[in-house]
Amino acid sequence: MRLDVILRVVTKLILPFVLVFAIYVQFHGDYGPGGGFQAGVIAGATIILYALIYGLASARRLVPAALVEAMIPLGVLVYAGVGVVGWLTGANFLDYSHLAHDPVHGQEWGVFLVEAGVFITVSATMVAIFYAFAGRGRR
Amino acid sequence: MSDLIALVGDVVAHYNQWITVFLMVSGLYIVIARGNMVKKLVGLSLFQTSVYLLYISAGKILSGTAPIIDPHFTVYSHPLPHVLILTAIVVGIATLAVGLALVVRINEAYGTIEEDEIFKRDDDR
Repeated sequence: MRLDVILRVVTKLILPFVLVFAIYVQFHGDYGPGGGFQAGVIAGATIILYALIYGLASARRLVPAALVEAMIPLGVLVYAGVGVVGWLTGANFLDYSHLAHDPVHGQEWGVFLVEAGVFITVSATMVAIFYAFAGRGRR
Repeated sequence: MSDLIALVGDVVAHYNQWITVFLMVSGLYIVIARGNMVKKLVGLSLFQTSVYLLYISAGKILSGTAPIIDPHFTVYSHPLPHVLILTAIVVGIATLAVGLALVVRINEAYGTIEEDEIFKRDDDR
């Protein structure tokens, strides 16, 4: 009989809400406190909490280390790619004005895509750091 | 009497500065006084947090909004401290990860993360 049943049940209950909060922080970041860094850390913390309660092996099954290591450069590529698209549309690097039919919508899309890149990289980096620490001496 | 009330009001109105001072001094104390290296890193993080608060307080303008140009708003908070501190937060996370990695290596080499025990083992050698 495992004695940590309360921790397991509560973790399963709050994990979806923490993820939804991460999404809220991500999308509300345009007009309020928040953004890709904060949302990425919150989303990474859900995986870390899962790993703390259910063990590193099941967390690795859920989010494989290969996926995490692919997500880190993917986010940087999204960020830099938005900048290059700015070049291709005839503006400066990371100038979002020409991404959509008018500059205001272009700014919206640009900030959204850049923040998505930041979110991917930061959440994956948090999980990667945790995997690196927790997996030591158990290879 | 009214001078005293004004003084107390000034002290209370700058509560974010007082929190900054408290966090900074307690973080510095933990770094100096604790021998456990993980606790030292916790103190270092507290110290960093106080610096974030110091800069964000300086950048906040009362009744100012997010610095997005809009005809409805005329007063904006200063964006520069926010960008500076966003960078500082990321650097702080990175240095914390490096510090924890060093603690893990020290624990593997010495079998302890208490500073005085590590010094004793170095002296015995």
